[in-house]
Amino acid sequence: MHWRQYQATQKVTEVGETFISYAERGAGAPLVLLHGMPTWGFLWNGLIPALERHRRMLIPDLPGFGYSDKSDRFPRSLSRQAEMLDAWLQSLGIERADFIGHDIGGGVALRLAAFDPARVGRLALLDTVCYDSWPTEFMARFGHPGTDRRLSAAAALKSLRAALRPGFSTLEEGLINGLLAPYTTETGKLSLIRDASGMDSSLTMELVPALPRINIPTLIVWGEQDPFASLRYGRRLAADLPKARLRVMSGARHFVHIDKPEEVALELENFLRSQ
Amino acid sequence: MLLIAARKPQSIPPQKAEADVEQIFHEIRQILRVSGIDPLFQRWASYPRFFSALWEAMTPNAQTRAFEEAADRLRAEAVAAASGMDRLSALAKAGLGESQAYQVQRVLMLYHYANPKLLLFVSTVAQALQGQEPRRAEGASAAELIERGVPPRMFPMEMIEERPSEDVPRKIFRDIKRSLGLSSIPCDYRSLGLWPGYLAAGWERLKPAIKSQAYRKAVGDLAELSSGLARELPYPVVMPIDDLGEREDMGAVVELTEYFETVLPALVLNIALFSLDWQAAEILKRSPFPARPRHRPNGH
Repeated sequence: MHWRQYQATQKVTEVGETFISYAERGAGAPLVLLHGMPTWGFLWNGLIPALERHRRMLIPDLPGFGYSDKSDRFPRSLSRQAEMLDAWLQSLGIERADFIGHDIGGGVALRLAAFDPARVGRLALLDTVCYDSWPTEFMARFGHPGTDRRLSAAAALKSLRAALRPGFSTLEEGLINGLLAPYTTETGKLSLIRDASGMDSSLTMELVPALPRINIPTLIVWGEQDPFASLRYGRRLAADLPKARLRVMSGARHFVHIDKPEEVALELENFLRSQ
Repeated sequence: MLLIAARKPQSIPPQKAEADVEQIFHEIRQILRVSGIDPLFQRWASYPRFFSALWEAMTPNAQTRAFEEAADRLRAEAVAAASGMDRLSALAKAGLGESQAYQVQRVLMLYHYANPKLLLFVSTVAQALQGQEPRRAEGASAAELIERGVPPRMFPMEMIEERPSEDVPRKIFRDIKRSLGLSSIPCDYRSLGLWPGYLAAGWERLKPAIKSQAYRKAVGDLAELSSGLARELPYPVVMPIDDLGEREDMGAVVELTEYFETVLPALVLNIALFSLDWQAAEILKRSPFPARPRHRPNGH
């Protein structure tokens, strides 16, 4: 599916003075999929056919990302993202859901599991941010206040494209165009800079003492060759979370479910259906 | 020795603005209560001494209730005129998704609020450049100050490039420029270009409409009303034109101002036409972002 077709399927909900765009597919118990930086809900497009058969999939663009609110009137930290996600779930009348998170989406899901455990049933973390694994050097530079002046939207896009490329073992141009589509404008670029400047590993480090208390079934999937977050972090997370199982995808990089779509879909299906 | 003359920029986008211009852009957002800097200001900013004098001279009026209400009147007149014309029905043809439709509507609200204020602003500047002084507005509320700041639910002024890579908006922009005799693409079209199917459906209906007598009359009436309202603002707008003329190309400034004074009435009307697909005329005649009085501690 082309990203524009995906965008046309998105619904919208207002959360306070911001709004969240999201896709909703399938029926059944709610399953929330959280994208990472610098992507949007379209990241999950390839996984939808496998998971929508049994679940009500809810795929938000986190505030400040994709086609959700990109204004400058709300903070972009991981903790604020978790709060806004919580408010969004409340507005949809969802008390409890399973979560799949990639990159910072995994960090948001981890915070929910740590501080609002009643919200989270099962947790699948794909090459997630954790501990002090993030932000990457590129994103730390991208979030610098001078970036707006230094890079036009077109130059920022070129730079992002080059920075993301090592995160995939193979990559279709159409996919990366789609993943970066919301950031082709000056407003999109500026929003992403704000997102990047809000990246703060203290918000995952403060979770460390809470990790042994996150007593929910957790699947950790990691690309063996992730250049952005080493597999060491995945192993450490699996050791710290009491009910976690680690599945390493050989040859895969950061965007593990795009590098190994069938294998990851199967792992997720089995995990979500297991008792 | 080869000398390469530095070319004067035609426009200063916000991300390139420095020092005084950056500060004025900030004040424009706060005082005019808009989420972005219209290309009009970006073009004026390429004449920095003029731009600084212009903003200093315009600020007393721009922050008053009188200015806001005059813009409200322009908006209401545009809606009244547009509601007598055929509907564009772009919404029905564009097949937008729920979130896309929500965002298009928010973009229309932004320009429905901002464009009448810009038109009034330009009319006032044009008169000042001609040496005309406004008559003082009567009434106690005329000089009341309105609140500052971008309204919380106002959409960002997001827009695509003037020369987009996608075929559909690129062809529409070319057609718009040719059909309307524009030197650049106004930002409302560039914002609607984020949804090329919607822009295409709207432009297809708007293009023939702009040739109608009713449309031309409405544009003329708006321009005239704006000039009249500009003359009634509370404060005189005085710029040191002779001094500026020694440092800036004031002929080019006047030409630029006249260009926007010609273009803006149609933009105000077009947004009213687009908006009528979404909301009733009676709702659209009211400001989408009403301004409260400015909070002044201790009554000062």
